[in-house]
Amino acid sequence: MRKKLQSYGLNILALALLYGLMSFLIGQGAINKYYLGILLSAGIAIIMAVSLNLTIGLLGELALGHAGFMGVGAYAAALFTKNIGMDPATVFPLTLLLGGLAAAVFGLIIGIPALRLKGDYLAIITLGFGEIIRVLIINLDFTGGARGMRGIPRITNFTYVYVLVALVVAVMFTLGRSRHGRAILSIREDPVAAEASGIPTTYYRIFAFTVAAFFAGVAGGLYAHYVGVLDPNNFGFMKSIEYLVMVVLGGMGSITGAISAALVLTALPELLRQFSEYRMLVYSLLLIGMMLFRPAGLLGIREFSLTGLLSYVFRRCPHAEPEEREMPQAVAQEAPPLRPPVAEDAPVLLSAQRLGIQFGGLKALTDFDVTIHAGEIVGLIGPNGAGKTTVFNLLTNVYLPTSGVIEVEGVNVVGVPTHEITQVGIARTFQNIRLFRKLTVLDNVKIAYHNQMQYTSLEGTLRLPRYWSEEARANARAYQLLRVFGLEKLAEERADSLPYGAQRKLEIARALATNPKLLLLDEPAAGMNPIETQDLMATIRNICDRFNVAILLIEHDMSLVMGICERIVVLDYGQMIALGTPDEIRRDPKVIGAYLGGE
Amino acid sequence: MKFLQQLINGLQVGSIYALIALGYTMVYGVLQLINFAHGDIIMVGAYTAMVAMTMLGIPFWAATLAAIAVCAALGVTIDRIAYKPLRAMPRINSLITAIGVSLLLQNAAQLIFSPNPQTFPSELKGAPISIGGLDIGFITVVIIFVAVLLMLLLQAFVHKTRMGKAMRAVSEDMGAAQLMGINLSTTISLTFAIGSALAAIGAVLYCSAYSRIAPTMGALPGLKAFIAAVLGGIGVLPGAMLGGFIMGIAESLTKGFISSQLADAVVFGILIVVLLVKPSGILGRRAHEKV
Repeated sequence: MRKKLQSYGLNILALALLYGLMSFLIGQGAINKYYLGILLSAGIAIIMAVSLNLTIGLLGELALGHAGFMGVGAYAAALFTKNIGMDPATVFPLTLLLGGLAAAVFGLIIGIPALRLKGDYLAIITLGFGEIIRVLIINLDFTGGARGMRGIPRITNFTYVYVLVALVVAVMFTLGRSRHGRAILSIREDPVAAEASGIPTTYYRIFAFTVAAFFAGVAGGLYAHYVGVLDPNNFGFMKSIEYLVMVVLGGMGSITGAISAALVLTALPELLRQFSEYRMLVYSLLLIGMMLFRPAGLLGIREFSLTGLLSYVFRRCPHAEPEEREMPQAVAQEAPPLRPPVAEDAPVLLSAQRLGIQFGGLKALTDFDVTIHAGEIVGLIGPNGAGKTTVFNLLTNVYLPTSGVIEVEGVNVVGVPTHEITQVGIARTFQNIRLFRKLTVLDNVKIAYHNQMQYTSLEGTLRLPRYWSEEARANARAYQLLRVFGLEKLAEERADSLPYGAQRKLEIARALATNPKLLLLDEPAAGMNPIETQDLMATIRNICDRFNVAILLIEHDMSLVMGICERIVVLDYGQMIALGTPDEIRRDPKVIGAYLGGE
Repeated sequence: MKFLQQLINGLQVGSIYALIALGYTMVYGVLQLINFAHGDIIMVGAYTAMVAMTMLGIPFWAATLAAIAVCAALGVTIDRIAYKPLRAMPRINSLITAIGVSLLLQNAAQLIFSPNPQTFPSELKGAPISIGGLDIGFITVVIIFVAVLLMLLLQAFVHKTRMGKAMRAVSEDMGAAQLMGINLSTTISLTFAIGSALAAIGAVLYCSAYSRIAPTMGALPGLKAFIAAVLGGIGVLPGAMLGGFIMGIAESLTKGFISSQLADAVVFGILIVVLLVKPSGILGRRAHEKV
């Protein structure tokens, strides 16, 4: 934390110095009116690009109407200034806030229908929205119609633009590195896994999109009071494309990349005015070329950091010094103890009765009953296609059952959204590993701590004390958890760089981080060799005791299932055909029939 | 009477939307990609036909064939160059190239033909047909007839032929289809070719009816056709037709009875309502994501 604060201080100092230098140059006339104009336009473009990056780069949704939000903010702010009847310069910050809020309201209206759904509806809706806003502005009276709105006082100056750019960029960084930012990133990486880790994905989709709209509205307010005349055609689809090009060129997800691209793409057309008719042609080629040959952007996704640069210059060390961590005391890796049998009267954790689901005419599961007691390890086996994973999908409400009830500690959870199931105490892994591939191992685990932290997005953005204490605690717990799985040395690696076995373990660690009472493991030993499987068996026993969880295990490796499960449920063709201890299952003629064929 | 007249206008424009929507829905069904460039294929078809007729002096029917050939080839080329290399990437990447291709076509056309609208030489002229005091323009009859005929042909192709079966298989499960020996590449190319050919026919009909032609002419009909596809149920062929007709009728009734300025806003209003009420569209099935 001290290192972090030092780095914040350093950045603030550098920003203040740059501000002083620039104001001095403007005051001296070294930067004349023309260059100042370009500078202000570039600043506004930076706010637009950085906020659009939140939707496109961090959330991973394509939005094509960002200029439309700018338009809403511009007109709202201009109308406020013209009608307030007070000195517009003194209320300017309030004006900008209003512009942002107006845009945010429109963002909500569009985001709710488009982002509740899977698929690319946001692209189409925002494309339509950009045009509708333009048509509405042209056809309404109070906006000045097609002639535009004139006579807006020119209040925007270098200070306003500079401070706001710095603020918006800072917010993007701090928000991006808080539990809320991680939630947004997790949706980009894998919405299904995010939901299963307890992230309310719809909420965060709409949240990110609305925040982006808000900042576009603020930029609109600045723009209106910079140019003084608003032309509705300046907020159409082509303008939105310009901002899209900035984000793509800078590298989707990179804030510093978006800033550089915004600077270059504002200054360059000014210098190359005679080629202006080719500009859109060049932009279209840039979009295609970048996606085909350099999808990570010109600079890649790495962020420029002042602290990193300084330590490089002074120590000739290519990476910033790793942050000191509040490491937990080593947890002794004791041998897994022999498990005492679970008491007969252990409380019932989960009970499912007459559970069934139909896909069209196919009955994937019928009349499935299961009861799991606290601390128990239950196996779920059956031939391929028997409906095992379907059981998991029903228990976590990825699918809604067509019949039956699921009770967790006596409370019916049918119809409860998946991310809330996690909070009730059920966590799962997936048959095909679903990690947040481009995020670090540490972040993969910390995303699952989302609901165990309470700080608000405002506290996270402003770095208030609760952010520090909860993040430190989450870090410590994440390291402790990773240590159990022997992954703590890999904490800073990208999840997709891990070997297969480690990825499987990380997925279990992530599931455990949600603090479950029941852990659903979907073929954890798939693709492992016998030694790895042995190791996994020990780990599963170990976590069952250490974390005090019950486990429902889907597995094809019979030695694993027979070795650690206390009871086994056998499914075939969506029907439960046997339930009992490993010994009973081994001798059950129906089970033998299902696996080996015959009567 | 005015209502009936608007209804027929709606059917006319709706037929064209339906033809374009088929291209969107076929590509979406197979690749789950919104092919933003599809609207601009219309524009390319229109200019091809115009150049063929005015500069090369080719008769109308041959110019239509030329437009079909050029658009089909263009559709396949776009897929090969801009979408195919990105199939394994996140979907947003191909969406961005799709936008890029759309802009490229528009801006290239502006440089070649100038941004100003031109007049399309319409050859589909004939006496209006009178039914019970209602005059239906010759071109209207032609458009509706051709559109319905093409949709029936497409439906027959998809359900009765070997290639059609392959297309349905790929849209159901690409991996499984490949394992069954279906050539993915050919099938996807065929999808783009057929969709673009239908767009070319839609373009010639559209220009014959409205006679105006401009580099950005494809954007709005393309967008509306996409909404029609969503309305009917994206990925479902009869849905695209139904959606096209509904969109056309809704638009022309709005123009006739409320305000022509608001017609576009109503169209997007429909999209928002559909997404809120029945996101899978009228004829669509709810897709279960495999977890």
